Amino acid sequence: MSERVVGRPHPIIDAAEKVSGATVFIDDLELPDALTGMALRSPHPHARILRVDTSAAERLPGVAVVLSKNNTPDAPFGINHKDEAAFCREKVRYVGDEVAAVAAVDEATAREALSLIRVEYEVLPTVADPFAALEPGAPLVHDSVAGNVANEFHIRRGAIDEAFDEADATFADEFHTHLAHQAYIEPTGCAAQWHPDGKISVWGCLQSVFLIRTFMLAPVMGMSADDFRVTQTKPGGAFGGKLDVKAALMAAMLSRAAEKPVKFMMSLEEDLIAMRPRMPVHISLESAWKRDGALAGKRVRIVAENGAYSSLSPAIMSSIALRTDNLYKTPAAEIQGRLVYTNVIPSGQMRGFGNVQATYAWESHLDNVADGLGLDPADLRLKNYTEKGDVSLHGWKIASCAVADATRYVVDKMDWKARRARGGKGRGVGLASCIHVSGNKGFSVELGPDDTDPSSGVVRVDEEGKVEIWSGESDLGQGATSVMAYIASEVMGIPVERFKVPPTDTGYMPFGMGAFASRITLIGGNAVKLAAEDARRNLLDAAAEAMEIPADELEIAEGEVRAKALPERKMAVGEVVGRAGGVIEGEGKWLAGGDVLDKEKFGNPSTTYSFSTHGAEVEVDMETGVVTVLQVCCGHDPGRVINRLGAEGQVEGGVVQGMSYAMMEGLAPLEGRLRGRNFHDYLIATSMDAPPIEHDFFESMDPYGPYGAKGLAEVAINPITAAICNAVYHATGGARIRTLPVTPERVLEAIEEAGR
Amino acid sequence: MSTYEIKFSVNGNDESLAVRGDETLLRALRRVGYVEVKLSCEGGDCGACAVLLDGVAVNACLVFAAQADGAEITTVRGIGTEDDLHPVQEQLIEKGGVQCGFCTPGIVVSAKALLDENAAPSREDIQRGLAGNLCRCTGYKKIFEAVSAAARQISEGGGS
Repeated sequence: MSERVVGRPHPIIDAAEKVSGATVFIDDLELPDALTGMALRSPHPHARILRVDTSAAERLPGVAVVLSKNNTPDAPFGINHKDEAAFCREKVRYVGDEVAAVAAVDEATAREALSLIRVEYEVLPTVADPFAALEPGAPLVHDSVAGNVANEFHIRRGAIDEAFDEADATFADEFHTHLAHQAYIEPTGCAAQWHPDGKISVWGCLQSVFLIRTFMLAPVMGMSADDFRVTQTKPGGAFGGKLDVKAALMAAMLSRAAEKPVKFMMSLEEDLIAMRPRMPVHISLESAWKRDGALAGKRVRIVAENGAYSSLSPAIMSSIALRTDNLYKTPAAEIQGRLVYTNVIPSGQMRGFGNVQATYAWESHLDNVADGLGLDPADLRLKNYTEKGDVSLHGWKIASCAVADATRYVVDKMDWKARRARGGKGRGVGLASCIHVSGNKGFSVELGPDDTDPSSGVVRVDEEGKVEIWSGESDLGQGATSVMAYIASEVMGIPVERFKVPPTDTGYMPFGMGAFASRITLIGGNAVKLAAEDARRNLLDAAAEAMEIPADELEIAEGEVRAKALPERKMAVGEVVGRAGGVIEGEGKWLAGGDVLDKEKFGNPSTTYSFSTHGAEVEVDMETGVVTVLQVCCGHDPGRVINRLGAEGQVEGGVVQGMSYAMMEGLAPLEGRLRGRNFHDYLIATSMDAPPIEHDFFESMDPYGPYGAKGLAEVAINPITAAICNAVYHATGGARIRTLPVTPERVLEAIEEAGR
Repeated sequence: MSTYEIKFSVNGNDESLAVRGDETLLRALRRVGYVEVKLSCEGGDCGACAVLLDGVAVNACLVFAAQADGAEITTVRGIGTEDDLHPVQEQLIEKGGVQCGFCTPGIVVSAKALLDENAAPSREDIQRGLAGNLCRCTGYKKIFEAVSAAARQISEGGGS
């Protein structure tokens, strides 16, 4: 490891503009003469629409256009099921569903116009609970979907019946997770500008500028993807929530109808009630074990809450169902999943993509198993972890793996054995592990152009020696494009201060799927690395001509091309480019490895996999049930750290976000109506809640990753919930939290249950 | 609703504007171009719109613009710009205390206000000083480290 840039701590490349408030977020975008767009949302969880009368709103001075089902085509969209319309047609299906939208000269006029729209509803019985929705005769959320089942599957793999018949011990548990929001601080918004040639420019805080065109804008608006130029504004946090952004559609439709630019900014309340929060899920687990602690098989049954519309929900349920089977050597499994429509906000993807929920359930269950078998929970895991070279039950190929090292680090740092021996007096320790994809081939088919999960990069060097990287991937604030700059800087021998990575733009940048599934460092990073290598070759060829020295006798360092043998013979990179007559470019394209899963969900969905282990120490007030996280200790295997400062930030941010999910968050739906509508009802962790975090990286040097790197964003959040719950179990002598979040009431109930 | 003719200074620039009685300082500042003051919760929960009002950190969404008549207002850009960064900003960069950057203008304002009052804050002081600023990206740890380092930098004469 002789790299000059890779592996060291660096600030993100756009840090200076961010700390000085110069970054242009979507709400700061200047769009002259832009109208204000706003939506009228359903006040009912479930109602038939008898009539929408927009005439009074249309007559209001200052109103440019009012859109509803009356004047928009019936063009349903959706990634897995085409079950959602731009504007509700026969029914509204959740509180927050878009019924109409207006574009007006200012916000006050737009608000008044919304108040003038008359909607006649016939209120229908609400079905908010997934188990009630599965009962015969339950109200149907979508009249055409019998039984409210949006998706279901049943997989048996390996000798599952024998595994249970011949087991020395079996265990069973049930777990329930809650509806929780991404709660980025920047409210979601988009802007659009219709052009007289019929094309539309769109700007927004988007995770994927390319895909929003193909899965939402083009099909609904009856246009081709190329008719849209979509440009990202830097998102003020996203965490999965800004992949599926209907505000883009609202802005584009309003702009086309008004033939004027439109800005459509959501309020925080709209964000909380009408985006796509983390899916709630009900998980039943049974597992079969040998006396020595070897896992023999598991049965998993899942009921997942889809909410009103199904975006990526089937894939999320699949992730919840299968993911943890690949972390341990699992000889046999039987998995059933049912995804259920309800009259609640549609659920969706948040950092972890179902793996937070799955890991909470399975890793909590494992500690119950360890207790039952009389084994240490860390030892039980160490005995069963997958290893490099393994092919899992479901076909996952483990190309690199340092999870055992991560666990041993946590055990060592937390003084695990001594602390475990002392549990049960209101203080305890727990740990949990996870596996996560680095990109997922399935998305390439569902969302992308084909089954290649591609990424492309262009690296351009100008006559001042400055370098711009064009990548279709995107930065969500996590520093993804900084990682690209550091990789290219390493390859090219040009200082990173000279690099710029503009926000993604379909107008001129090469294709990229975007930021999700922890895919950018591996897939985007490889594409940019290839582009940088190409640019470096082109620079050396140009320099060879200018300096009259063969290219293979030249090198680039500190932004200068130097003769290896005669270091005084040198030329600045910018001068080389100038003499070559302009910009020197390099191009790179990388296609992800792995397979699209077959119908039985068998195959290797990702090029490679990342791992982590989180440990937590908690104090539990046995009288009040209040849990305090005293410290967190964790180890991560991201293959190789590219930017140490950025990687640490991912871990610390993921841990606190996960702790926040575990302990205080929840949209708390009651009959389809959400209680969390602002940041004093929807609580997220503040500076007062942040625990001390000690952590390190265990670099497995992945064979496919750029410099050995793979994804980190999601392994940073997945295990912490279970680690906390396992620590509570240890601290209380057996209080098992089976329903999230870990509130004092639930802890007291669990203490009481454990005492019985 | 009545309108008021008000004057205040923002980062040393004199501004005169007409505001409605119900217009918040946040909305008024953004309307006249100070978009570095971020709009998020508009309920005093997140701190993204924090500014110094006559030297005191406030959430601009909880102050009516008319109440700020005659005041001296400082936004993050009055504390430091890219070419002339305040130690808090320098250290947020160096320690990695910034990711998406949306909460950062408010963090800088609150940290500046804290250090103006307490030149050598403990970790607990910093936690309390930033308790009104939500950050969803960083987990706060690197922000604490940055504020701590900024305090040291200032006390060693590295500017204020």
